[in-house]
Amino acid sequence: MFKKKVTLKILLLLIASDILETAIHFFFKKGAMAQTELAAVDLPSAVVFLGAVFSSPFLWAGLLSVAVVFIIWSTVLSKIDLSVAVPIASFSYILVPTVSVIFLHEHISVLRWAGILFILTGVILVSLSSKERIAETK
Amino acid sequence: MREGLLIILFMIALTSLCDTVNQLFLKSAIDSLNFSPKFNFINIFKFIFQLVSKPRLWLSFLFSVISLCIWLLVLSKADLNFAFSADSMHYIFIALASRFILKERFSALRWLGTGLIVTGIVFVSLS
Repeated sequence: MFKKKVTLKILLLLIASDILETAIHFFFKKGAMAQTELAAVDLPSAVVFLGAVFSSPFLWAGLLSVAVVFIIWSTVLSKIDLSVAVPIASFSYILVPTVSVIFLHEHISVLRWAGILFILTGVILVSLSSKERIAETK
Repeated sequence: MREGLLIILFMIALTSLCDTVNQLFLKSAIDSLNFSPKFNFINIFKFIFQLVSKPRLWLSFLFSVISLCIWLLVLSKADLNFAFSADSMHYIFIALASRFILKERFSALRWLGTGLIVTGIVFVSLS
């Protein structure tokens, strides 16, 4: 198996990044929602829209969270493979939709929850396959 | 409505691609340091200082800015739960990039997991 001491710390860092990741998406959505909806998908209206969004405090709260997640990830990625680290940090796949329903009052159909569960199952399988790989290399 | 969905899926694919390129540059910059930080603040700051002196880190940063701008446009048009779930298509790009560019080893289980993620994205998009 893997080195236990390092793994626990990496796991804790990844859980912290999960929670912050969810916060990032919530803040960004709030920032984007605060503006009037984008009129058309063309460059001039995109620039006007982005200018407005970048003056929102929500966006900067999101960016601050990004900075913290970045520091966590820089540390984690030096220890483990990209294709190992990314899947483990993925419980936000449940957290983000849950936050969307509770705080943003979005509706999620049964089919969509099914899709989300497929994605999460896929992510867990990918994580299990990386455990296999670490056991192999030991 | 359907046309709008396609545009949004296309934009999400673009952010996912930018994210993948960003992660590849980041991984490459970090690997080139050959530095194992112990988890204390001095080492972490030393690590970050070495990291910001790498041009590849700034390329990574450039792609994350592009990705963020497209992502904000997506969020103004789509529900967060949909956009976030569909954004998991970066798994496909990252799996392919890890396998073929970073030459990381893959088991059948990992391909199966990636296949399930693809299935999930299709479900989420159809709903």
